Amino acid sequence: MSVGQYHALCQRYRGRAVEIRTRDGRRHRGIIQRVSNNRVFIQPLGRNRNLGGFGYGYGYGYGGFGYGLALGAIVGLALLPFFFW
Amino acid sequence: MKNKYLDCLALFGVGGAHPGGLQLTKRILSREKIDKTKTILDAGCGTGQTSAYIAEKYQCHVTSLDTNKLMLDKARKRFLSLQLPIEVKHGSTENLPFDGELFDFILSESVISFTDVPLSLQEFNRVLKPEGVLFAIEMVQEKPIAKKELSSLLTFYGIPRLLTESEWCNLLKKSGFKHVKVEKDLQQIDEIDLELGADFTLSEDIDGNYFEILEKHQHLTEVYKDVLGFRVFRCCK
Repeated sequence: MSVGQYHALCQRYRGRAVEIRTRDGRRHRGIIQRVSNNRVFIQPLGRNRNLGGFGYGYGYGYGGFGYGLALGAIVGLALLPFFFW
Repeated sequence: MKNKYLDCLALFGVGGAHPGGLQLTKRILSREKIDKTKTILDAGCGTGQTSAYIAEKYQCHVTSLDTNKLMLDKARKRFLSLQLPIEVKHGSTENLPFDGELFDFILSESVISFTDVPLSLQEFNRVLKPEGVLFAIEMVQEKPIAKKELSSLLTFYGIPRLLTESEWCNLLKKSGFKHVKVEKDLQQIDEIDLELGADFTLSEDIDGNYFEILEKHQHLTEVYKDVLGFRVFRCCK
């Protein structure tokens, strides 16, 4: 998919929990907060350490509310199957 | 009573936090005769996803009730941004702040389970019109599990007990619902589409403990997927 397509997809999934795979092989799980021209900002599901499955890539700016991922670095994006009672 | 799981849902602002999500709600309602004259109570409205859908689609009188103030705040914001004339009420299903025989429909989407079941059912029966319908989408126990496991589930979700389908039916009948139709949803839980992906309205600065609660919930759902199920109960007086 092109950057443009990921941009559109991220817009559509705002407020949803997603898993994003980036070119460096990392998986980022979080809730999409907002999308700029070239980045998607997600609020990671997980804390400052890797909690079984909820890990996020360290080395990415994570301060305050969410962190940004370059749209050009995305190779995969999927909604997380959350199920609540 | 403090319920950490429900607090967690409130902080994360999970919309459609019930099995089947908004998609199931839509399907259930589409079979009913709902027009502008009808009054509907969304009991345990959470962040108001269902209420907003009903008000938009059917333009009828919607009342949204929840016991969690943070949820209600998020619901209010949602209704305001969509300019929907929905009445928002703070209160418990165990003691509804309404007169008797007021509603044509009551929706309880995974709400009764978290309360004193007989008490809530009695209250729903009281505020429902004689020809009204109560829809309850609720958790059921599909098969027996060890006592220890059961009690850890009950503690985690803060539910008084886990009922089987027939226990639900008995309690509904005892509370004055003479006609109860049970439906087992056949939809695959892991079938993903936009409407099934939960919708979150996050609070800022969520305490790390709540992320752990979310994670534990995910884990329990997976481990007990054959034990914990749900049914749609269509109940008439």
